[in-house]
Amino acid sequence: MATKYGGYMGKVLKINLTSREVSEYPFSDEERELFIGGKIMAAKILGDHLTGKEKAFSEENLLVVTTGPLTGSGAPSSSRFNISTLSPQTGYITSSNCGGNFGYYLKKAGLDALILTGRCEKPSWIEIQNDKVVFHEAEDIWGMKTSETQSALDDKLRMKNGRVRKNGKICIGPAGENLVLYSCIVSNERVSGRGGTGAVMGWMRLKAVCASGNKEIPVYDKEKMVKHTQKWFRYIRNHPLTGNQLPKLGTAGLVSAMQMKHILSTKNYSAGQYDEFEKVSGEELAEKYNIVNKGCLTCPIRCARTVEVDGQQVKGPELETLVLLGSGILNNDLPSILKWNYELDELGLDTISCANTISYAMEADEKGLWKNGLHFSDTGELTKIFEDIAYRRGIGDELALGSKRLSEKYGGKDFAIHAKGMELAAYEPRKAVGLGLGYATSNRGGCHLNGGYLVILEGLGLSIDQTTWRGKADLTMLFQDLMEMISAAGQCLFTSYAFFPTPLMKHPNAWYTKMVNKVLPYCGPAVRLINKYPEIAHLHLPVFHHTKGFEYTTGMKMKFGDYIRCGERGYNLEREINRRFGVNANKDALPKRLTDTLQDPNDPNSKVPLERLKKVYYHARGWDKRGLPTERTLKKLKIDFASESGR
Amino acid sequence: MVRVKIFGVARLKAGTGTFERDVETVDELLGSIPNMTKKEAKDLVLLVNGNPVSRRYRFKDGDEAVLLAPAGGG
Repeated sequence: MATKYGGYMGKVLKINLTSREVSEYPFSDEERELFIGGKIMAAKILGDHLTGKEKAFSEENLLVVTTGPLTGSGAPSSSRFNISTLSPQTGYITSSNCGGNFGYYLKKAGLDALILTGRCEKPSWIEIQNDKVVFHEAEDIWGMKTSETQSALDDKLRMKNGRVRKNGKICIGPAGENLVLYSCIVSNERVSGRGGTGAVMGWMRLKAVCASGNKEIPVYDKEKMVKHTQKWFRYIRNHPLTGNQLPKLGTAGLVSAMQMKHILSTKNYSAGQYDEFEKVSGEELAEKYNIVNKGCLTCPIRCARTVEVDGQQVKGPELETLVLLGSGILNNDLPSILKWNYELDELGLDTISCANTISYAMEADEKGLWKNGLHFSDTGELTKIFEDIAYRRGIGDELALGSKRLSEKYGGKDFAIHAKGMELAAYEPRKAVGLGLGYATSNRGGCHLNGGYLVILEGLGLSIDQTTWRGKADLTMLFQDLMEMISAAGQCLFTSYAFFPTPLMKHPNAWYTKMVNKVLPYCGPAVRLINKYPEIAHLHLPVFHHTKGFEYTTGMKMKFGDYIRCGERGYNLEREINRRFGVNANKDALPKRLTDTLQDPNDPNSKVPLERLKKVYYHARGWDKRGLPTERTLKKLKIDFASESGR
Repeated sequence: MVRVKIFGVARLKAGTGTFERDVETVDELLGSIPNMTKKEAKDLVLLVNGNPVSRRYRFKDGDEAVLLAPAGGG
């Protein structure tokens, strides 16, 4: 449906893989105003189809690939796209914000989103060129690893003059084909990593989608957007985190800070510090292995690392991989992590869930629950194990199920480190309890980003009290909603760091920074006021360029209050859909290791006071004691239609 | 003698991660970081033996001082 707004191509395509029927999916301007794009738009589409009875591996499931209005607009770090689906890993909906270039080319092909449903009769790949859809057989590329697949597809898209048509791709590797529950979808070297999106695509027998086209991406007020973008780029380049730390050290630069703050998950989250952290740190990576830093399209941050593995220049590990395959399994050998990181991407496995499943298995072996031959510090066989997981061979067939299911079979639920079936990220939450709440309440499961990433306040960027419950619930809600909307708009979540004024990050010892650190936990009521009545924030914050950028791109009015309200709508909509699949307060849980066992026996606060945090959080969110959005909350957010299904 | 460790982008600037200094005060230490002015060093977080300390702290022989800058990632 055509649109009056800039930033949108005005068309959503639905492809039924079973019947090969291609149709335009109606998405109106009223829906764009409420559901924006990205993961919120995807939640609306999923919510219109899923009743709570569907299974991830079924023809009723949908794989929804969405862009945001800022995708390809030229705004900083705006090449992002999102993939949402009913997750085979959690049984709830998952969403994954990805870099790469597929989102940009999907828009160049004239589409805001792509809805895939059904199942191909034979392995296939799809070519979309200027919104025309062509099915191709994929038997010759089925079984290929992800970079080989992408090269083979480029060859197929070669034009008469020998050049490859400019295109963006998403594809799966062997892990997705073999339905590993935490397999991912890859675009260039970037990954839609979490929740098993790759397995859904594999079940659909869809190896890849290529998009290309020459449509112009419209911008509502080009002149103002160009000026604003220049200012925005400058701001990001001058910010200490996005202009200095991330370009120089990447996300890996956090390892040392996490060690100092006792939040470096070590030996399957049994500790927050690792004696040999320096050998697997971001500094070591930067000084000895990084060749050059890279970025996605229009990204001034350029946080990606490039390293050499077996004579090839490949993507280096992100923080999560570095920690979970380093301290997480007591491995101090950085070259092995560089190699595994590359291999896992090639196989199409989510490095976070894979590493945590391995560390669970190591501990289960150590405790005699499951003799599987995996041992902490002993990593010689891991390359083979990763292949075995992707191809579902031997022990790999079991590891492909993830730590939750394995703990149900072999025991050790207390140390199977997941939330809602998805393994946690690399931050040990007993010394960052706000992030602990985020992990537990995140719609897609144990995710730091969907969880609100409060650890940025709890010791990394700022240094508020890491273990107090005060203020954490309200701040978690604010950050979850903010990041929900940044993602929906089509931007990288790292642009959210601009929310922290530069002086606070540059001068951690200044009186005003110390004051913020002291006072922030007591600001819960004030944050609650903004969360509850965001309309009072009817302004553009000087440090937050997103709202003006959104207005200039789309032509919609978007003050800061509107922005977080949209994020809140998305968060609640996902929650409401998950309610249909059985989510409630009992599912917002963490393993007992994190809630009942002290990280530091001398510090009675060094565990996640989850029940207390949840109580405040539910109240702040306008959810009832069962952890479900009330009718009043849904009505306020204009998503009361979503509650009609089986409430 | 104080063993000093620098992390984060400050380490790249200093060009070294670990060194020793014979210093008594925090001010002396901050003035002795390679490739960094005292003003720049003052913007680093200081931990001694794993704990934050005030500017008035007097170093003892065998202390381990850590200097790092605020960081973010994902």
